[in-house]
Amino acid sequence: MKAEQHTEAGVTAPALAAEAVTVRYGEVTALSAVSTRFEPGRIHAVLGQNGAGKTTFARVAAGLVPPAEGAVTVFGRRLAGGDVAEARGAGVELVHQSFALPPSFTVAEVLQFVGPKAGLFTKRGIERHWQRWLDGLGLGLDARARIRDLPIEMQQSAEIARAMVSDARLLILDEPTAVLSPKGTERLFARVRELKAQGVTIMLVLHKIREVLAIADTVTVLRGGELVAGPVEAQDLTSETLAELIIGEAAARLDASDRAALVGAGAQHQPDQGRPDAPPAVVLKGISTASNTRGNGLSEVDLTVRCGEIVGIAGVEGNGQRELVAAIAGLEPLTAGEISLADQRMETASLAARREAGLRIIPFERNVEGLSLSSPLWENWGAAQLVGGSLLASVRPRNLQRSAEAAFQAWDVVFSNTAQPAGSLSGGNAQKVILSREMDPGAKLILAAQPTRGLDIGATMAVWKALRQARGEGAGILLVSSDLDELFDICDRVAVMVSGRVVAEFAPPWDLKAVGRAMTAAGQQPALEAVP
Amino acid sequence: MEDLIVAFLRSGTPLVYVALAGVIAQRAGIWHLGLEGMMITGACATIVGIVLTQSVMVGLLSGTIFCCLLALLFWFVVEVLKANQIIAGLGLSGLGLGGTALALTAIFGSEAAVSAPAGLPRLGPAFGAFGGLSVLVAAMPLVVFACWVLLCRTRFGLRLSACGEHAFAARATGVSPGLMRLIALLLGGPLCALGGAELAAGSLQIFSVNMTAGRGFMSFAAVIFGAGHPVGATLAAFFFAFVGALGIRAQLAYGDRIPSSLLLALPYVATVIGLWISARTRGGHATTSRELGQQ
Amino acid sequence: MSGRLVPVLQTGAFIVLALVLCSLIFLSVGLSATGTLSAIIDGAFFRPNALNHILRWGLPLLITAVGVIISFRAGYFNIGAQGQFYLGAICAAFAAEWLRGSPALVAVPICLLAGMAGGALWALWPALLRVKAGADEVITTMMGNFIAAQFLVHVTSGPLKDPAGSGQQASSRPIDAAWRISESTGSSPIIIAIAALVVVFGWWLVNRTSFGILSGLAGRNPVMVTWQGAKVQRIAISAFLLSGALAGLAGSVELMGPNGRLASGFLPDHGFTAILIALVAGMSVIAATLVALFFGALTSSGLWLPIMTGLPSAAIDIIHASIALFITAKAGALRGLLSWFRR
Repeated sequence: MKAEQHTEAGVTAPALAAEAVTVRYGEVTALSAVSTRFEPGRIHAVLGQNGAGKTTFARVAAGLVPPAEGAVTVFGRRLAGGDVAEARGAGVELVHQSFALPPSFTVAEVLQFVGPKAGLFTKRGIERHWQRWLDGLGLGLDARARIRDLPIEMQQSAEIARAMVSDARLLILDEPTAVLSPKGTERLFARVRELKAQGVTIMLVLHKIREVLAIADTVTVLRGGELVAGPVEAQDLTSETLAELIIGEAAARLDASDRAALVGAGAQHQPDQGRPDAPPAVVLKGISTASNTRGNGLSEVDLTVRCGEIVGIAGVEGNGQRELVAAIAGLEPLTAGEISLADQRMETASLAARREAGLRIIPFERNVEGLSLSSPLWENWGAAQLVGGSLLASVRPRNLQRSAEAAFQAWDVVFSNTAQPAGSLSGGNAQKVILSREMDPGAKLILAAQPTRGLDIGATMAVWKALRQARGEGAGILLVSSDLDELFDICDRVAVMVSGRVVAEFAPPWDLKAVGRAMTAAGQQPALEAVP
Repeated sequence: MEDLIVAFLRSGTPLVYVALAGVIAQRAGIWHLGLEGMMITGACATIVGIVLTQSVMVGLLSGTIFCCLLALLFWFVVEVLKANQIIAGLGLSGLGLGGTALALTAIFGSEAAVSAPAGLPRLGPAFGAFGGLSVLVAAMPLVVFACWVLLCRTRFGLRLSACGEHAFAARATGVSPGLMRLIALLLGGPLCALGGAELAAGSLQIFSVNMTAGRGFMSFAAVIFGAGHPVGATLAAFFFAFVGALGIRAQLAYGDRIPSSLLLALPYVATVIGLWISARTRGGHATTSRELGQQ
Repeated sequence: MSGRLVPVLQTGAFIVLALVLCSLIFLSVGLSATGTLSAIIDGAFFRPNALNHILRWGLPLLITAVGVIISFRAGYFNIGAQGQFYLGAICAAFAAEWLRGSPALVAVPICLLAGMAGGALWALWPALLRVKAGADEVITTMMGNFIAAQFLVHVTSGPLKDPAGSGQQASSRPIDAAWRISESTGSSPIIIAIAALVVVFGWWLVNRTSFGILSGLAGRNPVMVTWQGAKVQRIAISAFLLSGALAGLAGSVELMGPNGRLASGFLPDHGFTAILIALVAGMSVIAATLVALFFGALTSSGLWLPIMTGLPSAAIDIIHASIALFITAKAGALRGLLSWFRR
C-alpha cells in the first residue's frame, strides 16, 4: 500500500494535519489550539511530560476524542471527529498505552473482531487464517494464545497486529516503550523501522529524549496542552535543547540529574551511598508465593533494605513486582520464607500489625488501592488512623477533618475542602494526599510502587523530594519503578526482578546496558539454576 | 420415569429461553435482573392476546412487543441515565409484576387468574408420552444452538463480548457499546416473550398474578452459574428444573411425610447451591458495580 | 447549604420522572393518571386518622430500612430484607409459643430479641457465601426471600398452625393480648420508641464510629480499605448481620404489634419497600426517617385504594417499581441528555 495521496494541487497531502485543535475535558483544557503537519512515510515523535496532552492528541487523531474546536485531516481527508470508524476508514490506527484487548479473547478472536468479515466462522478456520497472516507479519504470535496469558511485550505485539489488520497507513503508538525493557524497546524500534520501509507513517508518543533521538525523523513537543515546537527535524536537535523545550521555565529550578531523569536524557547521577552498617528496615529471606493468575509468584526472593537507603526494584512489568509488594504488605500469603520488619518476624502478621510496626505503602494503583475516589478526602486520609482500633471505636469527624486539613496544607495539596471527593483532585494532588497519609514520622519502611506514574513535573519532584526526605529521616524505602532513569536518579541500590526472582543487584555507577541485559536475558536463568 | 422427564422439560424450557436473554445481556455487560419482569410480561401478554383475539400468533407477537418495550426502557435507564443495573433491574421486575396485575384488573375487572381458550401448538400424539409438550420445547435446542453460533461464532458475538469485557477495546475499534447493549437487550425481548409464553401457554393455558414466582431471577442465576455461556446457562437452568421436578415427584410420593411447602423451596435452594459451586470453582466475584449515589 | 440541596433536587427530579412513567402506564390501561395519583395522595395523607396509619406502616419499614442502609453503605446489596423480616417474625412466633403463659415484661423483650436473632441468622449464610466463597449476594439473598416465604407457609400450616383458624389463609395462633405492643389498627408509644432507638443507633453507627467510616469506604472501594489494613471480612459480616437483625426486629414488631399473629404471605412487599426507602434517602439514616413515613403513607394508601375507590392496589406497586427504576440514575447523565436534546 502506498502512503502517498495527491491533492488537486499535486502536492503530497500530509499524513496528519491538525488545525487549531482544542480539547476540553470538563473545565480542563487538555489541548489548546494545536496545529501541526506530519509528512507521510516518516517517523514522527510527539514528546512531552505527563499531562502535556500527548495522549489526547493521539486520541483526537484516532477519532476517540472529538475536538471542541479545530479539525484533523488525514491523508487529505478531513475527519468529522470523535468517530473511530471514520478514522480507521481513513487509515489511522492507534496502539494504546494500556492495551485495548479483551483479556479472555484469543489472538485470533481479537483479529477477527476488528477484521472486515462479518459472517460465521469456525474456531479452527480463524485460527488458521490469522496464524498465516501473523506469520507473514513476522510477529511471532500464536493465534490460539489467550491475551491474558501473554507477557506484556507479546500483548503489545498483539495490539500492533490488531492495528495492522485494516492496513493502517498512519500508525500511532501511545507510549509504547513504557512497558518494555531496553532490549524490548530496541526490538520495537526495529519493527517500527520495518513498517516505515513498507510505507507506513508512524507517530510515536514518547516521553524519553534518549528514545526519541534513537528513532524519530521529526520531533514535536507539547507542554501543558500547547504546541511548543512543531515538527522539527530530529537531526537538528540535541538532548539539552529538547529537555529545555519539554520542561520549560521549571527547568531552571531543577538540578541537572533530576532534569535528565525526568526526560530520560540519560545523564548520570551519583547519589549518596547507603549506610551499610545501618539496621535493616526489612529483611526478606527466601520468600516465595503461590503462582497466581498472572502466571508467576515470587520464588526465593532475598532482599534487605536498610534504614536510610532507597533500594530500587527494576524489571519489566509483570515479573513479580506486584506480588513482592503484596507479600511485604501481608496481602499475598507466603509459601516459604521469612519477613522481618524492623527486627520483628512478620510472616503471619496482618497488614494492620505491619503498619503498626512502621510499614507504609504508596500502592501501584493510586485510584484503586490508594484512594476511594468517590469518598470524601478526610475519610480517605483518616482510614489510616482507624484501621488499627476497634470497629466500634467512637470517631469525631470534625477532629479527623481538621487533622486531614493540616496534613494536606503541609503537603501543598490543592483542595477546597476536606469533604470533596478524592476523585475531584488531579493525579498529582491525589498522590500528595497519599503521601500525606503514608509519610508520617512513624514510617520505618516505605513501599513506593510506581509513585510517579502519570504525574506531571511538579508532582514527580514532590514525590522524589518526599522519598529523599524520608531516607534522610532514617526510613528504608523500597521503590518499584519501570523507569530506569528514575531509579538511577534516586536509588542507592537497584535490584532487578525477572519471573518472580531477584536476578541481579546493581550499585552506582549505573550501567544501563548491564541492567537492561539483566531485565531480559536473565529470563533463562531460573531453568539453569534449577539444576541441583 | 417418562412423566418425570416431561415435567422436567416442561419446567426447564421457560427458564432456558429467559436465561438465554440473560446470557446475551451479560455478554454485552448488563446484569439483567429485569428478566423476572420481562418473563411475566411475556406470559401475561401472550395469554391476554390469545383471549382477546383467539390467535396464538397474535399472543406471541404482543408478548414480544411488550418485552421489547420493557427492554428499551431498561436500556434507557441503565445506559443513558447510567442507573445502577441491579436496582434498576429489580425495578423493571417490579414493573412487570405490578403492571401485569394492573393490566388484568383493567381488562378483566379483577386480579383473578385468566385462562385462554387455546395454547401453544403441541407436538401431538406422534410423540407418545411427550405429545403434550409444546413446540417451544422441541425448538429449544435449536434456539440454544442459534444463540451459541451468534455469540461464539460470529463477529457480532465477539463485538458483544468485547463490549461487556473491555468496553474501551470496543470503543477503540469503532464499536459503540451503548448501541451493542441496546441490540443485546432487544434480542432478549422475544426470548423472554417465548419463555413467558411457554410458562403460561405451554401446558396450562392460564395466567395468574405473580405466576413466574422468581423463575426470572432463577434464570439470571443460571446465567451466572453457566458462566455467561449459552450452553452452560442451559445446563444450569435444567439443573434447577431437575431439582424442581424431583421436588414435585417427592411431593407425590412422600407428601404425607415431608411438608410440601419445603419441597417447593427446593429449586431456590438448588439455585443458591449452584451459585456457591460456581463461585468456588471460578473464584467468584462475578460482581458488577455496587456504587450508589450516596450522600 | 446548596451542597446539600443539589442531591435532594436530583432525587426529586428522578421521582418526577418515575411518576411520569407511572402516569403513562395508568393511561395505557385506561386509568386517569391525575385521578389515580390524587386518589393515592388522598388515601395516603387525607384519609381519616391518616397520621396513625402512616406511623403504623412507616415505622416497621423504617427499622428495616436502617438495616438496609447499613449493608448497602458497606457495598453489600442485601436484597434479602424480606426473608430476614419473615425469619424474624417466625422466630419471634416460636419464642412466643414457647413462652406462653409468662409475664409480658419477660416475654416481649425475648420475642423481639428472638426476631433479631432470626433475621441475623438469615443474613449470615449469604454473608458467609459472599465473604468466604465469593458467591454474589444479590441472588443468594433473593433466593433466601423465596425460601423464607415457603418456610413461612410451612410454619403457619404446620408447627405453628392455629387449629381454630379458618381455611382461607394459614396462620399461627394469635399472640397473647397482654403481650401486644400495639393495637391491630395502629402504632403505639412502644413501637415509636423502638424505631427512635433504631434511628439513633443507626445514625451513631454510620456517622460516629470506626465501623461507619470504614464500611462507607469499603462500600465504595473495598480494595483501598484492604490496602489500609482494615479487616474487610469482619466489616462485611457485621454489616450483613446488623441489617438482618434490624429486618428481623421489624418482623417481630409487626408480629407483636399490628399483626398479632403469623400469617402466610403477610406484607410481601415490606423488604423491597425498605430497600427503596434506603435508596431514596440516599443512604442517610436521618433522611430515611422522613422517607419511610412517606412510603408508609403510600403503603397504607395501597390498602385503602381498592376498598374506597375501586382502584387496583397494584397501582402502588407500579409507583414503587418506577421509583426503583430511576432512583439510582446519575444526574450528570440527565443533564447530558437534556443538552443533547437542545442541540
